[in-house]
Amino acid sequence: MRTGKGTLLAVVTLLLLLGCGRTVDVQPVGEGTDRTAPVFPDYRDVTVPCNIAPLNFYYTAPDASRFVTTFTSAGQSVTIRGRDVVWKEKAWKGLLSTGADVEVLSEYKSSSGPMSFRWTIHVSPDPIDGYLTYRLIEPGFEVWDDLEIMERNLESFDAKPISDWRNTRNKCMNCHIHAQGRGDLSLFYLRGEGGGAILNRGGKLRKLTLRDSTMISPTVYGEIHPEGRYGVFSTNIIIPAMHSFGNRRMEVYDTASDLCVADFDGNRMTTFPETARPDVFETFPVFSADGNWVYYCAAPVKRLPADIEETMYSLVRRPFDAGTGTLGSPADTVWSASERGLSVCHPKASPDGRWLLFTVADYGTFPINHRECDLRMMDLRTGEVLTLDAVNADKSDTYHSWSHDGKWFVFASKRGDGFFGKPWFSHVSADGSVTKPFLLPQRDPHFYDTMTRSFNVPDLGNASVGFDAAEIGRVWREVPAEQFD
Amino acid sequence: MLGKKGRWILGISLATLLAVAGGSQVCFLLRYPYFRKYAAQNGVSLREARKAWGHPDAISEQMMGMAVEASLENWDRVSRLAAVDRRSRIGTYYYNLANAHRGQLADRLMDYYQPFEQGLFLPVGEKSTPFQIGCAGDVWFALGDMSMAERDAMLGMLFSPSHTGSRYLRRLAETNLVSGDFEAASKYLRMLLNSPKDRKWARAHLPGAWSPQYAARVEQKRALMPHFDLVHGMDQTQLILRILLNSNPSNRMALDYLLCYDLLVKDLDAFVGDYVPSLTASHLYEEAMLIFLAAKGGMDPENFSHYNISEETLDRFNRFVTIYKRDNGSGENLSAEFGKTYWYYFYYAVRNENR
Repeated sequence: MRTGKGTLLAVVTLLLLLGCGRTVDVQPVGEGTDRTAPVFPDYRDVTVPCNIAPLNFYYTAPDASRFVTTFTSAGQSVTIRGRDVVWKEKAWKGLLSTGADVEVLSEYKSSSGPMSFRWTIHVSPDPIDGYLTYRLIEPGFEVWDDLEIMERNLESFDAKPISDWRNTRNKCMNCHIHAQGRGDLSLFYLRGEGGGAILNRGGKLRKLTLRDSTMISPTVYGEIHPEGRYGVFSTNIIIPAMHSFGNRRMEVYDTASDLCVADFDGNRMTTFPETARPDVFETFPVFSADGNWVYYCAAPVKRLPADIEETMYSLVRRPFDAGTGTLGSPADTVWSASERGLSVCHPKASPDGRWLLFTVADYGTFPINHRECDLRMMDLRTGEVLTLDAVNADKSDTYHSWSHDGKWFVFASKRGDGFFGKPWFSHVSADGSVTKPFLLPQRDPHFYDTMTRSFNVPDLGNASVGFDAAEIGRVWREVPAEQFD
Repeated sequence: MLGKKGRWILGISLATLLAVAGGSQVCFLLRYPYFRKYAAQNGVSLREARKAWGHPDAISEQMMGMAVEASLENWDRVSRLAAVDRRSRIGTYYYNLANAHRGQLADRLMDYYQPFEQGLFLPVGEKSTPFQIGCAGDVWFALGDMSMAERDAMLGMLFSPSHTGSRYLRRLAETNLVSGDFEAASKYLRMLLNSPKDRKWARAHLPGAWSPQYAARVEQKRALMPHFDLVHGMDQTQLILRILLNSNPSNRMALDYLLCYDLLVKDLDAFVGDYVPSLTASHLYEEAMLIFLAAKGGMDPENFSHYNISEETLDRFNRFVTIYKRDNGSGENLSAEFGKTYWYYFYYAVRNENR
């Protein structure tokens, strides 16, 4: 009788295990597909920070079996069996705590016989900022639904919405940015009725109408000054359009754009004749690390969309007076589009003052669908521009941000499927060398297989922003927007 | 404690309740088969579908039927479903699309309710319904504009209750297979391979597994695609159609859609500019040309010959004009005989701005 019960229990357990087990078809894989490496995400020979969450992955060989993965670091060894390599967080942290690189041996049986290959996970002693914010959005075209801005803990898999559609009656919201990687100084927009720019200074949330009667639009792109009193922004008339050919998809251009400065203490907007010229587009302003300069992109006005391929933005800077909140003169062209035949966007200064990371594309101001769009990095001490070959891929690489110490950056890349942006991280050494980037790890290694939303504007923060979507919902409903003049 | 009789009564009551509930469900599925199919295409259960879209009725069942059959390219079934003109934008959209597949778009245009250009191309914007957005790409896929078809499939998925669904994933896979972007197609094919209902379809569409028929279909679609790049607004329908025609002048469906668009928005100048009599023909185009020629002073045999205007059409037009003038522009005595002509539409159709 006892044996019978035991057998029954074993059968039930087996059935349950079989029922709960998941067989995922990994095809299509190989050349010409979005899964060309033997492991996905391709963590082979990447460099990771010592505090990163476990790098879970799976093998892409479709007809293989008996997968065994052995990780070795400073005498410690961990073996994981199966196509899906999913770590227990404690074991992963234990292995990384050795401080040494992790050597990996991958073995499996393929249709052509036993296979094995060795690779390395380089572990950097430089920790990365603990938090990443990003907007999750379907790569839509003019309309949206169910938007949310998430904050992910990079040391684990914990993530929470810091603003979402549930608490704001499906309002449009634009991406969240930290000032110099600080969790206590950040900003994002809630658009539409009841909306405004949500400013987080030291955990105090304000809702601001960053517009005055002289501006061509509400503020769009921008950044907060390191001291927190001012923000520099662009105002843009943005036109979405489509390419007719191939799969170039969407093109977005501005028919007008200017710069302005917001004084968050005096509730005052200031525009300047030099950066509100009708014959020049000015956009993507950011502060230098010391707050004494504003870098931005500028292009001569063109007839659009007809001349879109001749629209080239240069990288320009102007002095900023943090005492008066004014942009000065003269403008200094840091990187000339006409000399290089490329267009710049999204400059971002590293908080340590050393680097300026920016994007170049063949033309235009919105290169997320430009396959040729790559990152470049300028050494602000010498003016030398590095091409970052180790980082760039054959699809759009852009929307980057720095860790608070300037040693890591994250960027959104459409490598692979070409349509859905995902966050990738790279380490920067003192000599400007960058490491092969790694994809944001997920608890489920198949997470990205079914993800049909883009990680929009991933932004690093050294601390949690301290608010959540419910609080933003309350601000949206109850807090009147402060007017600026 | 229940006695034996009580247990019997309870058992029978429960069985009756279950039978009624099951019967009710069966009745529902028999009555609204397309509601179930459309829900399945959107990856949601019947319960979720009812929550998202409400209880179906005859009109929604007809619309969903047309959407389901159009996605499977069963154009005869779409036509049968469209036989009852319920004066809905989506009904007209699929009526027109089914006719276009048979080369009868223009000939049968005036036989049906036409809400101006919106029965040809469903508007996609903040005021559009999710259902409408989910259907909007079917016409672009048929015409050969994979960029617009992909856009609408993505937006359809965005607004579907579960933000996914084989209806959209299949279209996204196909638009990218046609445009040759296998990397993008891979993602959708992988998702479909992992769905039991779509596995067979996905396997047949994996690059390298195509049947000769499917390979030919891809080639045929590729031939329709634009061969040059031009940045255009998403609502510049006429420009998009002209781009398609510039790349492939023999794209008869694109030409008919363009001409019908010109006519439905009553832009006769554009129509005359776009009309190539050697490439397409319809009594609709004859009727439109007569209005233009009469207005511009070109009523001569040379033009009638060039634009293939028959004597019968000319006679009918003269009769229409006679009555029109006699009744001082009143359409009362024209509707019976001319209600399904372009002349009647041109003079009497009024755009309903509230729709």
